[in-house]
Amino acid sequence: MRPLTAGASPLRQALDWGSLAPLRLRARLVAEGVYAGAHRSARRGAGVEFGGHRAYTPGDDLRWLDRRSLLLHDRLVVRQFETETDRALRLVVDATASMGYRGARAPGAKLAWAAVVAAALARLASASGDPVGLTYVGGGDGTRNVAVSGGRESFERIIGSLEAASPGGDARLDASVIDRALGGLARSARRGSIVVMLSDLLDLPDVAADRIASVAAGGRVVVVVQLLDPDEATFPFQGTLRLESHEGALVVETDADATRAAYLEALARHGATWDRTLVGHGARVVHALTTDDPVRVVRSIVLAAR
Amino acid sequence: MTFAFVFALVAVVFVGAPYVAHRLRRRKAESRLFAAVHLVPPAPPRARRRSMLEDRALFVTRALAVLGLALLGASPFVHCARLSLSRTSGASVALALVIDDSMSMQAKLGTKARFERAKQGARQLLASTREGDAVAVVLAGAPARIALAPTTDLESARSLVESITETDRATDLDGALALARGIVLGLPQLDRRIVVASDLADGRPSAPPLGEAISAPLWNALPELRADGHDCGILRADRAGLRVTVRVACTPGFAATKATPRKVSIVLGERTLADGALPELDAGDVVLALPADALAKAEEPGALVARLSGSDPVAADDVAPVVTVAPPGSVAVVVPGDTEIAATGGAPVVEQALSALALGISTRPLPQIPDRPDDLAPFLGIIIDDPPGFTPEERRALGAFVAHGGVVLVALGPRASAAPLGASFEPFLTQPVRWEPTTSAGADPATAAPLLAESAASLAALGAQRRAGLRPEDAAQFTPLLEWTDHAPLVARRAMGRGEAWLVTLPFALDASDLPLRPAFLSLLEEWIDAAKARATPKRTEVGMEWTFPGAARVVVTGPRGEEVPVARDGAMPRVTPVRVGLYRINVDGRNETRVAEPAQREIDLRPRALALSAAGGSMGENRASIDASPGVALALLALLAIELALRVRAGQKIADSGES
Repeated sequence: MRPLTAGASPLRQALDWGSLAPLRLRARLVAEGVYAGAHRSARRGAGVEFGGHRAYTPGDDLRWLDRRSLLLHDRLVVRQFETETDRALRLVVDATASMGYRGARAPGAKLAWAAVVAAALARLASASGDPVGLTYVGGGDGTRNVAVSGGRESFERIIGSLEAASPGGDARLDASVIDRALGGLARSARRGSIVVMLSDLLDLPDVAADRIASVAAGGRVVVVVQLLDPDEATFPFQGTLRLESHEGALVVETDADATRAAYLEALARHGATWDRTLVGHGARVVHALTTDDPVRVVRSIVLAAR
Repeated sequence: MTFAFVFALVAVVFVGAPYVAHRLRRRKAESRLFAAVHLVPPAPPRARRRSMLEDRALFVTRALAVLGLALLGASPFVHCARLSLSRTSGASVALALVIDDSMSMQAKLGTKARFERAKQGARQLLASTREGDAVAVVLAGAPARIALAPTTDLESARSLVESITETDRATDLDGALALARGIVLGLPQLDRRIVVASDLADGRPSAPPLGEAISAPLWNALPELRADGHDCGILRADRAGLRVTVRVACTPGFAATKATPRKVSIVLGERTLADGALPELDAGDVVLALPADALAKAEEPGALVARLSGSDPVAADDVAPVVTVAPPGSVAVVVPGDTEIAATGGAPVVEQALSALALGISTRPLPQIPDRPDDLAPFLGIIIDDPPGFTPEERRALGAFVAHGGVVLVALGPRASAAPLGASFEPFLTQPVRWEPTTSAGADPATAAPLLAESAASLAALGAQRRAGLRPEDAAQFTPLLEWTDHAPLVARRAMGRGEAWLVTLPFALDASDLPLRPAFLSLLEEWIDAAKARATPKRTEVGMEWTFPGAARVVVTGPRGEEVPVARDGAMPRVTPVRVGLYRINVDGRNETRVAEPAQREIDLRPRALALSAAGGSMGENRASIDASPGVALALLALLAIELALRVRAGQKIADSGES
């Protein structure tokens, strides 16, 4: 836990990589770990080879509604097919100021951990020949999006961008950072693309859910990874605290011992609300802490993206 | 730069510096960046508050200790404004304290009333007395009175001073000084002093300086009490029908209407019925007209109040109850109808005389005296001409009428000596009355009481052949207002209960004497009517004047503020002294009446009276005394040290407990 130092801008601070550096090596290790398990880079959607069923969600193409299943089981399910079309991976990394937080027990800042996971996913995709693109929500100076491209160079470009990224921006005060990131994605991502968004979902404005839903509506697979620091998940502080938000200029003075239970309850409610909203729009949600094994998380993402 | 100023500076440094250090040392709450702040409920910083409280207790203890040390060091140099007696020869002192408890002493001196400052000064002076000193206390509120006869019991003097309360009385400084002088000159102590605690505003600013004619040493111990400012007050407010006449007085020379315009208002509850500007002169009447719809509620005593707007040093005289002027009322006249009417050819002569006086009263001829007291209650008085005695029922009715404040005028004539069986003149006379010849030509003007003095000469020759003769034991019960030339009573008066009985030893018949034809007859009737009116209207006296209730068994008096006023008994006679201006509700043996205590006009004059130069009294005492508070301060320091040790021990225990947990 680092106290706020006087004079430092909470929205412009260098990324604390911690033990997650170097990114390139960590990403390869993670990717190797994922390879070691059963993996199958595939997507489901319109195609020729049947890929199974899944529950119907509003927005699904009614052409693939399984009428037989509806008559037999009285359940709305859609048929899925393996496709041979483009399976581009679009990575969306939340680089707003709150992602720069690193608690005492975390190996690195949330953004650093997200970068490792994103890089590992990029390596997996490039190894499969799938094109990869990278988009940031917010971000400090030097944070640059990477256009969708395939080949080995794409992984290098993504590594370079992630290494240069720094937390910054206030999505709570400036909702346009959401629009810039997800609005462009909703227009440019092709049908069948896999969109993986890495965010703490803590400081995002209310419109963020609608933007994510609009991305998921275009026949894309959206996986949202909610990434929290252990401090945020357990609120381990003691005594009187003066807490300042990274975004939104919110300040709260509180007694940590007295309010821990109420905070955890509010956090659970907050997470459940996001889950309901995202799942309702066809996205999948993966929860992770920065102390979790990135290999396991990447594997979860791959499984969720199927 | 006085010592007090330096002391204050040092105290500020010594107290302020630890406080600043305390503030600097106070830990602020730890600040953190945290993304999910909006999920964290704010909570009172309990731990921090507890820590502050503990620190503050220690800080307060230490600050007090520093202050105590500073006081301890400074106490030899500290003086305060405190009265004390000086003893040039070291001998015992005979002290007469003259404390002014008049209304003008209610004016503020700073934040306290002058009266409170006077009491404080008296306390301080008594604190400097010692065994062997004799103290007397004289109160200067009119009438001046001795509150404590000279005594060497200083404790009783102190308790008496504590028991003195402010009043609305006028000021009688001359009387109070005369009393004080008489007291101190009669005491054996050689060192005799009269100490005055007064604002010197006795309404006689141009009178000779106080203390010039007093042979005993006089000391004006509290010159700061000297009156200043201007006062306006309502002396009385009378209502006759819808017209209210308010008499207002101001301190002479105070242009009330120009400097701060003030108004007189008539208020019923919260409603202002009428108002008007103050008169241009120092004293005058303001006549206000009430709305007609207010008349019904205005009948209740105390419902209507006259009030002065604005403020002045004395608030007590800014409000006065509106008193209803006595209604005209009526007088019952009982005459032997046949003879009188035959002689005058019209109404009996006494009725014609009452009508001629035009006193605004009505006359009710009655054929005989009513048997029931209730039938007499509506009358101001009863005139009974030449009665042949009273029957038992009449005696009872007349006795109750007089006992409750009625006035009876009995003219004794020839029928008095021919009283039928069972009839008598009780309760006025106990013995029979004789209708006897007289050689006296008429009344002796020299014996006339003041109320008949002017017209008594007209009664010198009455032409009466006979007159009613009283037995000596009956005559002794009456106060003669006018006597025959042979000193037998012609007109006499006797107080009975709360009323009066008047007696004339000639009838009001024209054939018996020339009395009804003389001017003095009209004067007699007028004075009698005035006496009757005075008993029917609310009594109004200057505040401080005693009210007596002769013959009353039980008297309950409620003051203007709803308080019960103590009733003193001098033998069998209850006495009440109203010390506050306003309306008093009195219950005398079950019968209610109201009386009004009004302020004295001279008390509203706040111009102070001059004081003899010798009254400065520099050698008799001082208004500055040193304070040796070191023993008390040292004890307080020890207590503070103990408290600090206790606080430290408790803090250590807490730290140990938290370490174990």
